[in-house]
Amino acid sequence: MSHSKLAGIFNKDEKKVDWHDKALWFVRHKRDLSVHEVKGWEELRNLGHGIKAHTLSHLDVYLEQFEANALKNGVQVHWAANGDEHNQIVHGILKENHAKKVVKSKSMLTEECHLNPFLEANDIEVIDTDLGERIVQLAKEQPSHIVLPAIHKNKLEVDELFQEHLGTKPCNGDPQYLTGEARKHLREKFIHADAAITGVNFAIAENGGFVVCTNEGNADMGAHLAAVHIACMGVEKIIPKQEHLGVFLRLLARSATGQPITTYSSHFRKPRKDTKMHIVIVDNGRSEQLSRPDFRASLHCIRCGACMNTCPIYRRSGGHSYDATIPGPIGSILSPGKDLTKYSTLPFASTLCGSCSDVCPVKIDIHTQLYKWRQIIGKETPQPFIKKKSMAAMGKIFSKPSLYGKVGAVAHWALRTLPKSLINSWPNIWGKTRDLPVGHKQSFDQWYKERENNKKDDQK
Amino acid sequence: MDSRDTILKKLKANKPEFIALPKINLDIFDENIDMVKEFIRKVEVAGGKVFEVTDNKEVLSKTQEAFPDTKVNFTNLDDSGFFNTIDYETLKNPHKLNDLDVLVLESTLGVAENGAVWLTDNDIPVRVIPFITKHLVLVLPKENIVPYMHQAYNALDPEVLDYGIFISGPSKTADIEQSLVIGAQGAMSMTVFLV
Ligand code: SF4
Repeated sequence: MSHSKLAGIFNKDEKKVDWHDKALWFVRHKRDLSVHEVKGWEELRNLGHGIKAHTLSHLDVYLEQFEANALKNGVQVHWAANGDEHNQIVHGILKENHAKKVVKSKSMLTEECHLNPFLEANDIEVIDTDLGERIVQLAKEQPSHIVLPAIHKNKLEVDELFQEHLGTKPCNGDPQYLTGEARKHLREKFIHADAAITGVNFAIAENGGFVVCTNEGNADMGAHLAAVHIACMGVEKIIPKQEHLGVFLRLLARSATGQPITTYSSHFRKPRKDTKMHIVIVDNGRSEQLSRPDFRASLHCIRCGACMNTCPIYRRSGGHSYDATIPGPIGSILSPGKDLTKYSTLPFASTLCGSCSDVCPVKIDIHTQLYKWRQIIGKETPQPFIKKKSMAAMGKIFSKPSLYGKVGAVAHWALRTLPKSLINSWPNIWGKTRDLPVGHKQSFDQWYKERENNKKDDQK
Repeated sequence: MDSRDTILKKLKANKPEFIALPKINLDIFDENIDMVKEFIRKVEVAGGKVFEVTDNKEVLSKTQEAFPDTKVNFTNLDDSGFFNTIDYETLKNPHKLNDLDVLVLESTLGVAENGAVWLTDNDIPVRVIPFITKHLVLVLPKENIVPYMHQAYNALDPEVLDYGIFISGPSKTADIEQSLVIGAQGAMSMTVFLV
C-alpha cells in the first residue's frame, strides 16, 4: 500500500494524530534546548559526519580489525549476508546452548531481519524487554518509531493490553502503575532467561568492544543474568577508536530525547566468567547502499530518531504509514535502496523542507537524498497515468510565460467561482485530502505591473 | 566463499575513495565550567540526588538515614561490616539478588556535562547488581570529575576494559504516552556522594 493510503488510515483518528504531532514536536523541542547548551555543537556534528565518512571509506579494514580484537577478547564472531542467515546463526547459537527462553533489548536490526517470528516458529520464547517494544509485541504490531516504539499507542490502549496479557487491574491508563507491573513481569523473564540478545550502538575497531545505550537498563539486566549474550550489529556500526565514543555519545541522546546522555551506556568487551558472548555482523543490503555515491551517507545514521520527531509528514502520518522497519525521513532513503518498487512512494512522503537534515547529528543530507530518489523513481518505476499526463501538461505551461499567464487567470477564476466538488473531481487527486485556496482577482504579475505603473504616475 | 569473505569483498569493492579521519580539537568545546556544580545539576536533571560529604563513614550513615527500613544491603567500601547484610559469596549467585535493596559502590570517574558516573568490573563485584538493586548509591571523589565525555575517554585505557558503564540517574521510561516514570527495569533511585 502507498504511504498516502496508509497515512489515510492513521488520519482517521484525528485526536490521536493531533496528540502524536504535538508529542513528537515536544521531543524535538527538548532536543533543541539540550543542543543549545553545548558549546561547539555544530563542530561536534561535523566530527560525527567526518568520523563516519572516514569509517565507511575504510570499512572492510575496520571490520577485520574489530573481528580480530573481539576474538582475542574471547568473543565469537559470526557474519551474515542477509536477514535469513542472521536468523539461522542466532538460532544455531541458541540451539547449541539449549536456550529456550530469550530476552531481547532494543535492536532495529533484529526487527529488520524478522528474528522474532523466526525464533517463535522454532519453539523459542522471545520477550522484548524495552517497555515500548514489549507493548507493541503484546499488540502484535511493529514499532512505529525507532526510539519511541509505542508512540502511536495511547495509555488506555496499553491499559487494555496489559489487562489482557499481564492480568493487571483496570487503571485508566496510569503510567506509573502500568510501568510498575511491566517491571515485575519483565523481572521474572530476566531471571529465567537462558540467553539475551541486544543490539549494538557502536562497535569499536581498536579494542573489539561494543556499546549499548538504554534508559531502562534492560540490555544490562538481560546480558548480565543469562549465560549467553548475542549482540547483533549492522556492518555500519563500526567506529575506529574508543575516543570517538566521546563524540557520538554526546550527539546521540541529545538528538534523540534531549537528555545529555542515556541513563545507561554499557561498554561490553569480554564475557563474564563461565558465560559466552557472540557478535553477529550483518550486511543485508548495506554493502549495496555503500556502492551508491548519492546515498551512501545514509549509512552514517546512528538511529537517534531526530529526523522523525521533526518531520511534518511523519508526525502527521505515523510510523506505520512507511510500512518499513525504519520509518520517517531516514527510512525513506534507506528503504528504496532495498526494494525500489515496494517503497517507491516513500521519497514523496516529504515536503523537502530540510528540517531532517538540519537536526541530523551526523549531518546526513536527508532531504537531498529524498529528492534524488524521486528522480530515479520517476524514471524507473511506472507513475500513475493522471500524474504523468498532468505533469507533462504542467511542464508545457511552465515553459511558456504567455500560456502560463492565460491559464493562471482561468485557474484563479475557477477557484473563485466553481464549486469545490468540481474542482476536486477525480483528475485532481491532490485535492482529495487538501483544500485549495480561494482564487485571487489579480495574479502576481498583474499586481506588480500595476504597482510599477502607479509608481510612475506618482513620479509624474 | 563464506559470508564473511563475501561481505568484506563487497565492502572493499563498494567503498568510496579514502577519506581522512578528522582530528578532535577539544578547545572548541571548552567553556571553563564549574565542574562540581555542573555535575550536581546534571545528576539532578537525570532524576538522581547528590550529597557532598567528608568521608566514607558519612556515606554509610547518610545512606542508612535515607533508606532506614531496608533488609538487604551491600557495599564494598572498607570497614563496612555493619552495613552489609549479605556477603560476597551470596552475590555470586545473582539470580538470588532480586531482593537487594541498597547497593553502595565506589566510582573513579564522573562527567560534568551529563552527570554520568563510570563503573567497571573493578568496582562491581557482579555485573548485574547496579541494575538489579532497588537503590543505587555511588561514591565519587570530587577531583575525579572531568568536564566532557572526551576527557572521560582520554582517562580510560581501551585495552584494559572488560566491561564498563556510564550511569546517569535512575532507570526510567516514557514509553506510555510520553509520561516519565522513574524505575523501569533497573534501579529505582540513584544517589551520588561526592567526597
Ligand atoms: S538520519 Fe540522522 S536524524 Fe535521522 S535517525 Fe539517523 S542519525 Fe538520527
